[in-house]
Amino acid sequence: MSSTSERNGAGAGKNGIPAGKPVSTGQQILDKGAQMLQSFKPINQMSQHACTFALYSQDMSRQIETHHFITRLNQDFLQAAVYDSDDSDARLIGIEYIVSDATFEKLPPDEQKLWHSHAYEIKSGLWIHPRMPEMIVTPELKNLAKTYGKFWCTWQTDRGDKLPLGPPSLMMSPQAEGEGVVNHELVTKRDEKYKMSKEDLVKSRIEIPEPEWINPMADYWRQHKKCFGVDVESTKMKIETDYSIYS
Amino acid sequence: MDPVHATIHPEVPGEKTKIGTSLVDTAASAIQSFGPTKQIHQHLCAFHFYADDMTRQVEAHHYCGHRNDEMRQCLIYDSPDADARLIGLEYIVTEDLFLTLPDSEKPLWHSHEYEVKSGVLFLPGVPGPVERKDLEKVAKTYGKTIHFWQVDKGDDLPLGLPQVMMALTRDGQLYPSLAKDVETRYSVSFEKERQNRAYMEGLAHGIHPKANAAGVGLKTVLREIECKPSGQPEPSVHRVFV
Repeated sequence: MSSTSERNGAGAGKNGIPAGKPVSTGQQILDKGAQMLQSFKPINQMSQHACTFALYSQDMSRQIETHHFITRLNQDFLQAAVYDSDDSDARLIGIEYIVSDATFEKLPPDEQKLWHSHAYEIKSGLWIHPRMPEMIVTPELKNLAKTYGKFWCTWQTDRGDKLPLGPPSLMMSPQAEGEGVVNHELVTKRDEKYKMSKEDLVKSRIEIPEPEWINPMADYWRQHKKCFGVDVESTKMKIETDYSIYS
Repeated sequence: MDPVHATIHPEVPGEKTKIGTSLVDTAASAIQSFGPTKQIHQHLCAFHFYADDMTRQVEAHHYCGHRNDEMRQCLIYDSPDADARLIGLEYIVTEDLFLTLPDSEKPLWHSHEYEVKSGVLFLPGVPGPVERKDLEKVAKTYGKTIHFWQVDKGDDLPLGLPQVMMALTRDGQLYPSLAKDVETRYSVSFEKERQNRAYMEGLAHGIHPKANAAGVGLKTVLREIECKPSGQPEPSVHRVFV
């Protein structure tokens, strides 16, 4: 029916113009009213903004800059809403979950192959916390270097999709070699935007230890030379309760 | 008998946040700007079920922002509390935008007309007249929902593939116990709201036959593929399964 390998179709355009009319005054008033009356506890818990890069598993030559707005549930688990920029009109393009190495090692191998490592991103200065002094985030970077992430991208804005099309794509993290090497122009653009330099970060992060072990089931493409696509298929809807899944 | 699974909140494994870590979080939340998430201005509560299994129904808390007058984007949590799990996301578009989608895409979207008109979709804390003003619009939209974390079956971590989710389309689908539980916690009455919303209009062109999983069901499948050599464009493969 629909696949991550599909080319973009109708409803998509090559320019970045969003589909839809601007927000009307009436809607703005409704939104403002709801905002004043409602509480936003889960959203208010977001405590970090990280910017990094990601590669589509079905085509690693397609790479994007990503903005993660992160909530910590405990020392070993983070959840992030991922946007395509840090502007107020950014598009919500997916969700990433981040777990510590301890949690990752307990996952079944079939699950592990969907996750990517973060050590290289941190050490190479690709992962940043915009506007944060490096010294303050160093303890967190040390934590993150040992973590693994699982990132599903639901809106392929890089190919000009005006609306989210198709099934989610599994995303990979940048790595030092092969298909994992991040596009130089993307990094230059990021460096210019935040008035920073990747090379400076590499130097200042030299003290952050490399993990002694990165599980080879993560970054599956590196050891196994295989990538992943996701398809949506037609099936019969179950309408009778099966209690076995709750046992 | 109804299962009571949708209110399971499995504890996420892990140690309590260390003081050093929470200090970084505190500093970052003070210094950094959160442009995209500041646009979130609406909390919507509704139910989703899995596109291949209507018997698995989940209470879903949507936190939405308008991208423009015709599109909202929402983060979905399993509760409205500070320790809520981020379980998915939803895009909501007007009927006009929905109709521009290719036919292969339409089954992934669900209609909202029944959810609104039956009273089960609501904005916690917002008085009825104000709420209805906005829901008049929602009734004419379609949504695309993906869940990544199957909390209803007790997963303490987000495991497996993303799941396409669907919404209620007629009476008799929602578990009465699930409805009762939400009505009690939020002091709302779905039946009363159904009457209050009787005047609302739905989709101008009626519910599209390709929407709501084309009236059948959908499942996601992972496929191991050859990695594309870097720098090579994607081959033009068009997969059709329906």
